[in-house]
Amino acid sequence: MEYVLKIVNLAVSRRERTQLIPVLNDINFFVEKGELFCLVGESGSGKTTLALSIMRLLPKSFVVTSGEILLNGQNILNVNEQSIRSIRGKDISIIFQDPGAYLDPLFTVGVHLQEALHGTTEDKNQLITKTLKDVGLEPEIQLVYPHQISGGQQQRVMIAMALINNPSIIIADEPTTALDVLTTRQIINLLSKIREKYHPAIFFITHDLELAMSIGIRIGIMYKKHIVEIFRPDREKPLHPYSGILLGNIDKKYFNEKIPVSSQTDINDWCPFFEKCPEREQKCQKKIPFIWHDSLTGIRCIKHGRNHQM
Amino acid sequence: MKNFFQRLKNHSKLAFFSFWFLVIFYIVSFLADILAPYHFDYQFRDKPYHPPTKIHFFDTQGNFHIRPFVYNTVVDDPVFRSYREDTSKIYPIKFFVDGPERKILFFFKTKKYLFGVDKPAGIFLFGTDTYGRDIFSRLLYGGRISLSISIAGVIISFTLGMITGGIAGYFGGIIDQILMRLVEILMVFPSFYLMLSLRAMFPLNLSSIQVYLLIVLILSLIGWAGLARIIRGMVLSIKEEDYVLAAKSLGLSHWRILIFHILPNTFSYTITALTISVPGYIIGEAALSLLGLGIQEPYPSWGNILSSTIGNLRVLGDAPWLLLAGFFIFVVLINFNLLGDALRNVLDPKNW
Repeated sequence: MEYVLKIVNLAVSRRERTQLIPVLNDINFFVEKGELFCLVGESGSGKTTLALSIMRLLPKSFVVTSGEILLNGQNILNVNEQSIRSIRGKDISIIFQDPGAYLDPLFTVGVHLQEALHGTTEDKNQLITKTLKDVGLEPEIQLVYPHQISGGQQQRVMIAMALINNPSIIIADEPTTALDVLTTRQIINLLSKIREKYHPAIFFITHDLELAMSIGIRIGIMYKKHIVEIFRPDREKPLHPYSGILLGNIDKKYFNEKIPVSSQTDINDWCPFFEKCPEREQKCQKKIPFIWHDSLTGIRCIKHGRNHQM
Repeated sequence: MKNFFQRLKNHSKLAFFSFWFLVIFYIVSFLADILAPYHFDYQFRDKPYHPPTKIHFFDTQGNFHIRPFVYNTVVDDPVFRSYREDTSKIYPIKFFVDGPERKILFFFKTKKYLFGVDKPAGIFLFGTDTYGRDIFSRLLYGGRISLSISIAGVIISFTLGMITGGIAGYFGGIIDQILMRLVEILMVFPSFYLMLSLRAMFPLNLSSIQVYLLIVLILSLIGWAGLARIIRGMVLSIKEEDYVLAAKSLGLSHWRILIFHILPNTFSYTITALTISVPGYIIGEAALSLLGLGIQEPYPSWGNILSSTIGNLRVLGDAPWLLLAGFFIFVVLINFNLLGDALRNVLDPKNW
């Protein structure tokens, strides 16, 4: 088994005046070569923070308090600014949520692609034309400004920019959230076509579990700073109570307004889902580690984790 | 570029007109020594405060002349300096007449003038000043100085403001603090007095080219501070834009992001601000020259042409053509302002 991306014990905090508020905690997972790993979670669970920490693009107020991010075996948290720049866009690239805002309004699509291609010796124009063809765009679109094309086309341009250096992993941070249903399907099809053709690993972040179930090889569920479950949608059903809620088995308790939706500071380090869990028990009132079922899947829940292991 | 003119025209006919008006003004003043009928310091000793010369097509007998002509004038009343036309001889306006040798376009020496009349008559389209120098020629030469000072000053302060504001805004922290405090020190002085005291630091007996460079330097030194602050503010907000994050995710260096992605996004504002600030430089030069600290006689600038009218109340009544320099300043300012207003919209790619 070959890991493209392996994250070990990652914890990230946000600096607010003098105190550190945890944003990500005890993140452990990996993405295999050529895999499509989906990360699902609600708003504020830390998905985008995770994506940005993998890119090392966290805003200045965020600090990585512990852990390692291994990209192709190299811990990118230790390398200097110069080397991380040569990694970004080459070995790892990212597709963002709202394609319109992420394209510089002053430059044409062609200039964007050339910016993405910095430092290559190959024939740039040929490579750009080829990549545009891969994402289903005409070469003529190079002369057009980003605001003159549709959201779907903008997202294709973003994908082309991410793809052009043939990276080993592409992070897609909710790439379809700003798009309509049909365009979403086209973009998803495009991503899977690209994965078949060039075999990059794709780290797909979304809040739509159903979408993730339909495309992902493995799915990680995130809840309040933690990854609570990793499962394979085509092999097994998710076991974590929160996954069940995401799938539509909604418990009334989850929407109980007395419980704050997502409190920033933790009073305790119990199971992150304890407050809202329909199946909670006395024994859940402690720190729960992530329990691996096997090398690929696992859960952060004593009840289901134990059951499985036994 | 063709696109730009089309957009400017579509946005505002008036601004389009202003643009071409300014272009023509700049070309004309650049070609001043070709177009002017006299050299700027050529004096008609016998014709001070001469009113604009009348150009005739019909002589006293009522005969029509294809080639327009002027009459020589003689002093009628030496106290009030009124002139009378001597209709005994006509002086046709000719092309390529001979005159005293002078340099044109900084290099070529020639005796030919584009147009003129034979001596002793003179053709003064806008009249003459105290020393009998042709105001029209002096305005052309003066425009060269006044207009080029403004452009040179704007370019220097634009560069300074861009660099300082960009670096301060993008890198922030201690660099930002130092640069902005420096800018604030410059800004707390009232600019006019700062200009005067800067000028006072240098001796008065400088050569004209030294004075010219000095004025450019002083004006741009005053102008860049405000621009730097504004650009810093814009950079602060633009660097949080998503496309900057995207540029970072492509692995671009800080400098490339700053120069290629952030600063160009301030252009739609800065170019407008610059266009609107050009008049400030023309006025600054005029103010310095008006006080005798700018361009020195006999070299003309719009400011010192105007300054020759100071303390000379009769000018207003008897020789109002001396105030034409002020009118030219006014016209250029208006056109720059009109153009600047329109550029704001035209340069924003979202409006294309």
